[in-house]
Amino acid sequence: MRRVAVSGIGVISPLGNCAAELIKNARAGCSGVHRLDSEFAARLASPIAATVQFNPASDFDPIKARMLDRFSMLALFAANQAVQASNGALAELDLDRAGVFVGTGMGGTHTMDAGYHTLYAEKSDRVKPFTILMGMHNAAAAWIGIEHHLRGPNMTYSTACSSSTVAIGEAWLRVASGQLDVAIAGGAEAPLSQGSIKAWDALRTVANMDIDDPSASCRPFSKNRSGMVLGEGAAMLVIEPMDRAIARGATIFGEILGYGQSNDAIHMTQPSVAGQVAAMQCALRAAGIDLQAVDAINAHGTGTQANDRTETAAIRAVFGRRAEQIPISATKAMHGHLLGAAGALECVLSLLAMQAAVSLPTMHLQQADPECDLDYVANVARLGVEARVMLSNSFAFGGSNAVLVLGAGPDDHTELDQA
Amino acid sequence: MSNTFESLRTILIKEYKLSPDQLSLDAPLKDLGIDSLGLVELLFTIEDAFNIKLPSDPVGLATLGDVINYVDELIASQNTALLPELQNI
Repeated sequence: MRRVAVSGIGVISPLGNCAAELIKNARAGCSGVHRLDSEFAARLASPIAATVQFNPASDFDPIKARMLDRFSMLALFAANQAVQASNGALAELDLDRAGVFVGTGMGGTHTMDAGYHTLYAEKSDRVKPFTILMGMHNAAAAWIGIEHHLRGPNMTYSTACSSSTVAIGEAWLRVASGQLDVAIAGGAEAPLSQGSIKAWDALRTVANMDIDDPSASCRPFSKNRSGMVLGEGAAMLVIEPMDRAIARGATIFGEILGYGQSNDAIHMTQPSVAGQVAAMQCALRAAGIDLQAVDAINAHGTGTQANDRTETAAIRAVFGRRAEQIPISATKAMHGHLLGAAGALECVLSLLAMQAAVSLPTMHLQQADPECDLDYVANVARLGVEARVMLSNSFAFGGSNAVLVLGAGPDDHTELDQA
Repeated sequence: MSNTFESLRTILIKEYKLSPDQLSLDAPLKDLGIDSLGLVELLFTIEDAFNIKLPSDPVGLATLGDVINYVDELIASQNTALLPELQNI
């Protein structure tokens, strides 16, 4: 297997629209969660979400924008930024050997919502002709392929909240095995259409709004947590063989070392310790590293009781007593739950955190749940913490678990030469 | 210039953000960024704006002038009128 470098990062998120903004705000413990003020929000039990600030009119050609659902816009924004950051990863390349791997849980919800509104609310048959092309889950990946002329596999994964972790993992497998030379991989989600947000509201997993401070409504691992907060955004990586990235003088943001998957096969929403343990162990085996090498974990950390307790128990089961020494960050408290894009955003945050030698905080954690008794880096980032290897966990409804093992990348090129 | 041309220009300037300078009768649609798929959506928009019903068969329209002629023929045959918001252009 070839070593795989992350040579480009692109992001558009509730914590910022580039890598520098994202890590700055995450390190500071900022929250992108806020109260929703639309008229529709009054119909929600908990009118909160983490939204992206961007202006499609200035970022997209107006005619092209007419064919883009919001999730595709977010995906393209992040992918274009990642390609630009890669400083030439797509140059001098057989584009038949370049692929796109995108995770999304909900796809083009805004488009489908608008179509149903026309059909059912307006009782009109004037459903727009691009509804299918904009609403389909693979629209984002297709547009990235078109934009950059990438003729290799164009894949979309929809495994709910682990979708983009799966997408990055599957892309890693293709590049590591030599099937592809470059991949754009990540996730995009725009789940805040009225129909979608109301459906999440109905599931009763959304956190109660903190009346005094809506931005503090999501509290992973905290005794007084009450659920997740929906977020929107996209994060994309450019990945390629490490030796190619070094040879062309690319900035290396880190390395993908391994990827593991498992399926709980028990329940649609109730997570399983055994399933999460299996995914982490699978990823560590794929990376070929010892348990001792893991310096930190970005938790799935949704802020639901079921997730937080199960994930804590799973981390304990994998690492034993050493689990207590591993800093665990649940960054969803700040950027919300981006569903199918969550894993990609948290992968990016993990890579940036290793670069910046920081353990990102788990915000709004005043008193931990007694059953959540690990080191969650409560409320304040830790600076000057060197981490070389991190896990990024994603555990989804439906029981689909996926874990990435991420590396800080070679210290210098000598290390690679000797590898 | 015909009323149809002026109305279509208004749509293309307001909704498609095209420059008035680009919108001559002999302007190829593809040069305006409107390909075969884009034409499907433009015709849908035209149906609403001009209150006409277009045939479901695909039509080969290459220029803005072709679109104007096509719409004018349909307006004449269907004896319809512009929607009120476009009548005062």
